[in-house]
Amino acid sequence: MSRKVVEIAGRRLSLSNLEKDLYPSYGFTKAHVLAYYRRIAGFILPHLKDRALTLKRYPEGVDKDYFFEKRCPPHRPAWAHTAEVRRDDGERTTACLVNDLATLVWVENLASIELHVPLARAASPETPDAMVFDLDPGEQAGILDCARVALILRDLLSRLRLTSCVKTSGQKGLHVYVPLNRPETTFEGTKQFSKAVAVILQKNYPDLVTARMAKESRKGRVFINWSQNDAAATMICVYSLRAREKPFVSFPLEWRELEHLAGEDDPEKFQIIHAEAVRRAETMGDLFHEVLLKQQRLPHL
Amino acid sequence: MAVQGIWSGTISFSLVAIPVQLVKAVEPGRISFRLLHGKDYSPLVRRMFCPQQEKAVPSEEIIRGYEIGPDRYLPITDEELESVSPERSRTIEIVEFIDMDEVDPIYYDHPYYLVPLKGGEKSYRLLAEAMRQTNRAGLAKFVLAEREYLVAVKSREGVLALITLHYSEDVLPDDDIQPKEETPAAGDKGRIKKSISRMMGDFNPGKYADERREKVMDLLKRKAKEKAPVEAPAVEAEEGEGPADLIAALEEVMRKVKKNR
Repeated sequence: MSRKVVEIAGRRLSLSNLEKDLYPSYGFTKAHVLAYYRRIAGFILPHLKDRALTLKRYPEGVDKDYFFEKRCPPHRPAWAHTAEVRRDDGERTTACLVNDLATLVWVENLASIELHVPLARAASPETPDAMVFDLDPGEQAGILDCARVALILRDLLSRLRLTSCVKTSGQKGLHVYVPLNRPETTFEGTKQFSKAVAVILQKNYPDLVTARMAKESRKGRVFINWSQNDAAATMICVYSLRAREKPFVSFPLEWRELEHLAGEDDPEKFQIIHAEAVRRAETMGDLFHEVLLKQQRLPHL
Repeated sequence: MAVQGIWSGTISFSLVAIPVQLVKAVEPGRISFRLLHGKDYSPLVRRMFCPQQEKAVPSEEIIRGYEIGPDRYLPITDEELESVSPERSRTIEIVEFIDMDEVDPIYYDHPYYLVPLKGGEKSYRLLAEAMRQTNRAGLAKFVLAEREYLVAVKSREGVLALITLHYSEDVLPDDDIQPKEETPAAGDKGRIKKSISRMMGDFNPGKYADERREKVMDLLKRKAKEKAPVEAPAVEAEEGEGPADLIAALEEVMRKVKKNR
């Protein structure tokens, strides 16, 4: 196995197997994955910071077995930040906090192509910073249907004086985030609210939307997965690569662009590939920065 | 603030104060299993159960009691306990330097590393080096997680390690363990001594591995190849849509949204 020692901000890291083709049908090696994350680091790090990372590792490439790891591998470097977190069965485990470039490069060296994080920070695991609507198209539905649902959601939320942001999942869906960033927020509150919103959309657009998880009701519709508003759930981090045939990114879109894309009939145009992601982020800045900053309160209705 | 180390503060003696952070030094590589419901593979969770009422008790109804006799308790609140807890240490104040060889390993409780924080690197290096050369360990009292510990700080190849020690009252007596004296047969003692000298080695922990762990890992890998994993059922939402007034208010807003679209 080939090794290469690099130094990042004074931390020495031994990178291995850089020539391994992790996206074989596209030709994208571990070296490419590392290069992507180094370029996007300034944008993704604020969104990973202080959150218990779930690694989704693809050591043999995206078309082979992967494994989820909530526990930070014990062979981690001494300087890697970690947090003690409680799993939902009550056991405690040590999770990685990707708070700097060196740690990001280290987890990517483990072929952790996808980076998943909770909606709350490790120090306040019961306080979500945002409410999320995970729009997941069922069979015979697609990202264009998700775009229609996302736009309805935006309109409904803005009537409630709530700003929202949207990103692609990097797969077939869209994620709508409502920044909250207030210490009194609870998952109980965001779950109840998002579920009620999902139910209302289902009632008003029964052919387009379902609020139910059952496979049958999802056929031809967009499932609004409100149950992601939970301390135990994780979402793919904005700017993370996805393990698909091509290195697509979970990437933020402006609402204007989503309106435009919803009018065109081309689902391919929703997919932002690695190079495009870097180019856009560097020219447009972090379209998701409000998710970390804007303070909003769910209205008492 | 991120939970990065277990504790941070300073380690000090006489006029030296070094900012440090306490981190874990060991992590047993135990393979843990989730407990599932054998009928539908749902992961199980722990709940506190009241046998009297035959139901799970929510956390806000759980209190602490000290058992003074059968079915008799002294209830005690978190605030009361806190009022007698020792103040959290800001410093690890070394009071003596001892010869670590004099500490019987039975006193060793749990090991940690001390990591120098910004500005402390130079004095950290000096202290670690001086302790290594003199083969001395620092003894200190230290409060961690509401418990007061006696700790030894020793140098380990330039790294300071902190070991919490048991108090002497925690160590159980070994009085009755040694067998009654009997005159050993003349040759026996010599034979055992010889066997020992034949089997002498240097302590090299890297030579040994947890073989059961390796076997369990192999078993898991084999199973992953042979058989698809079982899946927990998707958690179907509890029925109900939410509070009626919230639904009604959202319905009203939805009507306006639809009118404007």
